[in-house]
Amino acid sequence: MADAVFLLCAVTSLACAVLLLRGYAQNRVPLLLWSSLCFVGLAVNNMLLVADLIVFPGRDLLLFRNLSGFLSMALLVFGLVWDSE
Amino acid sequence: MNEFLSGMAAALCLVAGLFFLRFWKKTRDRFFAFFAASFWLMALHRMVNLYMRDNNENLVGVYAIRLVAFVLILVAIIDKNRAAPRK
Repeated sequence: MADAVFLLCAVTSLACAVLLLRGYAQNRVPLLLWSSLCFVGLAVNNMLLVADLIVFPGRDLLLFRNLSGFLSMALLVFGLVWDSE
Repeated sequence: MNEFLSGMAAALCLVAGLFFLRFWKKTRDRFFAFFAASFWLMALHRMVNLYMRDNNENLVGVYAIRLVAFVLILVAIIDKNRAAPRK
């Protein structure tokens, strides 16, 4: 059950990243670019979660998971502060 | 270090949620309301995760919050595309 939730998190976050990137390619709204970059990072974050807990059990990747989650959010908030008038 | 990074990410999620709430107030576009709700759920996920870190029993519930956050973003995008279909 837990494995299914981790995998679904990875799949949905990747879908979000792809759809937002597609939206940016069509509309060129800067907010969509920052959101896409954030979700690309969150997809990496969730893939690391799957790698850490399913593929290589143990908590070795926790630092990288937290780092990717933090960097994704930092990128989005930077974009929101920079681009919102 | 892990707790610090996770706490920072939670705080940034709350801030991002506030930005989207402001966009929603300004434009009344529910796309932004979905985003605000999603980022607050991500913050909630991180807070609950930190609280439950020594207890693996509720791990599914903790990550289900994260999953709902991503599903909300997908709902927001699909809702937006349905409202304004491509020409």
